[in-house]
Amino acid sequence: MFIHNFKYILKALFKNKMLIFWTFAFPIILGTFFNMAFSDIEKNEMLDIIDIAVVNNNEFKDSVIFTEIFKNLSDKNNDKRIFNTKYVNEEEAKNLLEDDKISGYLIIENSPKVVVTTSGINETILKYTTEEVSQYEEIIKNLTNKIASEEISTNSEYLNNLDELNNKIYSRITKLINENNVNIKNISSNNLSYTMIEFYTLIAMTCLYGGILSMSALNCNLANQSKKGCRVQMSPTSKKIIVFSSVLASYLTQLVGLILLFIYTIFVLKVDYGNNLPMITLLSLVGSLAGLSLGIFISSVFKTSENTKTGIILAFTMFGCFLSGMMGITMKYIVDKNIPILNKINPANMITDGFYSLYYYDTLDRFYFNIISLLIFSALLISISINSLRRQKYDSI
Amino acid sequence: MKKIIEVKNLTKEYKNLKAVDNLSFEVYQGEILGLLGPNGSGKSTTINSILSLLNFSNGSIKIFGSEMNPDSYEIKKNIGVVFQDVALFEELTAYENIDYFCGLYIKDKKIRQKYIEDAIELVGLNDFKKFYPKQLSGGLLRRLNIACGIAHKPKLIFLDEPTVAVDPQSRNNILDGIKKLRDNGATIIYTTHYMEEVEILCNRVIIIDKGKVLASGTLDELKALSLIEEKISIEVNDLDLKYIEEIKQFRNVDEVVYDDNHLIISYEKGKNNIIKLIDYLKDKNITYNNLYVMRPTLNDVFLSLTGKELRD
Repeated sequence: MFIHNFKYILKALFKNKMLIFWTFAFPIILGTFFNMAFSDIEKNEMLDIIDIAVVNNNEFKDSVIFTEIFKNLSDKNNDKRIFNTKYVNEEEAKNLLEDDKISGYLIIENSPKVVVTTSGINETILKYTTEEVSQYEEIIKNLTNKIASEEISTNSEYLNNLDELNNKIYSRITKLINENNVNIKNISSNNLSYTMIEFYTLIAMTCLYGGILSMSALNCNLANQSKKGCRVQMSPTSKKIIVFSSVLASYLTQLVGLILLFIYTIFVLKVDYGNNLPMITLLSLVGSLAGLSLGIFISSVFKTSENTKTGIILAFTMFGCFLSGMMGITMKYIVDKNIPILNKINPANMITDGFYSLYYYDTLDRFYFNIISLLIFSALLISISINSLRRQKYDSI
Repeated sequence: MKKIIEVKNLTKEYKNLKAVDNLSFEVYQGEILGLLGPNGSGKSTTINSILSLLNFSNGSIKIFGSEMNPDSYEIKKNIGVVFQDVALFEELTAYENIDYFCGLYIKDKKIRQKYIEDAIELVGLNDFKKFYPKQLSGGLLRRLNIACGIAHKPKLIFLDEPTVAVDPQSRNNILDGIKKLRDNGATIIYTTHYMEEVEILCNRVIIIDKGKVLASGTLDELKALSLIEEKISIEVNDLDLKYIEEIKQFRNVDEVVYDDNHLIISYEKGKNNIIKLIDYLKDKNITYNNLYVMRPTLNDVFLSLTGKELRD
């Protein structure tokens, strides 16, 4: 019965033109438009050097990593430089910003902070560059603490000879960095693509649109949602088998759509998602699971027509993708800056940010944070839906 | 006779409304039981409660001698349901739709194939096997809907208003199919508000309104409950009002209606009424056409019991 139901639900899903349009065709069409619209913009944007200021206070001077990296990124002899940096005090930085002579300024007080007055691509680059340098600094600090405590525990005489300890730490960090290839990507206009985020949101959209498939498949199984559901529920086949096989069929359909989108964007639009295939696959599977859960939730909890439910999923997904940067990375930055919790609970952003972190960071902390967030999101929605799914008799149908 | 269904004191409430009110009845093997009532009388709610799709407030339901609940898979194997609304996959052909629903009951592909062919034959869809639902007319859709519900050859079939909004040809086909199912040994519960269908098909009838049983029995037993024993219809052009008033004074006359040159006289008792009427018309020199006598219908029974028409 499992295979019988699975086979026919799969067939019905693949032959449903409306579902196939939203989950297969629409992302490909949108991706083509993105490619047409943004490729020229990116080329133009890449040529610009961004005017910024850095508050040259003691905290900044003490941070060797920030000092060195910003110096390097602003070096006129560096072909890949992205900043034209003025080192000033805070008052001067504010004045430069007010006079619109710089896009923003960096100030380190306890932690690095970027001050901007508007939200645009320049401001976003400054923000993300600062974030990445911070992460780099964090890695170095952690390594230093770890090595220092290891060395002192093996040889307490280092406490009396700090120079030797420093040299030891320096050589071990250098070795570790070389051995493990721990470094942040070279932040330059060549590899910091601002339109990549659009394609990440496109993948997120496709994952979440998959919810339409699971919603539609499940609607056929539940007596309180459709007459087909009444008929299915009157059969001697266990509801668990019916629901599970239908959901699996919708998940498979969803993954086929996602694979098609990857093939199209990689081979036709030449989008580079990076080389970490296992992690890209993991994120795609988990992202699709989030979409699947969304569909299960909408199908089982709301009692309304299938078209209305489709509308709810489309609207939720598009709004989520908009917040995570589908219509421009600036929006992601605005939300991150002003309402960070919104992006933390937005599944579209979890997927987008997962791809982003996978591409731009060598460490996987942020990636795993997004994976776990997506799993929690999925588990939450399925838990809420289970009560309704387990119900065998209804108050009204 | 063997009891197939036993419903005792079934009550279903929606907030303040009692959709089914203390309903009790039995269905016997091999019969077609008609559940007759106007729209909203509680027929579908009763069916859905019996099928364990709906929670009900009170009462007990036994099918094939066992308590019915959602996990009664052994009982469900022998039940076929045709719901009032068409329940089909738009993306599957007629054959695939029947195969899908039949496959939820019958695992063996060969047996299933034979059953599907039988169902297609029964409802007359041989020429439409590869058609998609949207390519079928309303009547053919209803027939496909029935085929999906009965293909697995159930012993007990629930047909919930299967002929709503179908053309006469399809209706005749459906009714013939139902008779064949009965002849093949199935027990059928047939809900409708078309009294003509009940008169053609059913051995016994339960008339329900507002969730209550108003009357039950064979057709003759029910018709005996009617206040009218005979109706005479006669076509008379431009009949003077004074004649209508005089006819109203005839013995046994319950009601006289004159509309669109048609005079309909209802009699409480049915002996010699037609002779007296013809004599009167002759005497008054009134010309007439198309005179015929009608027996009371279930609608008259319903009217007598509730004071309203079945289709009000």
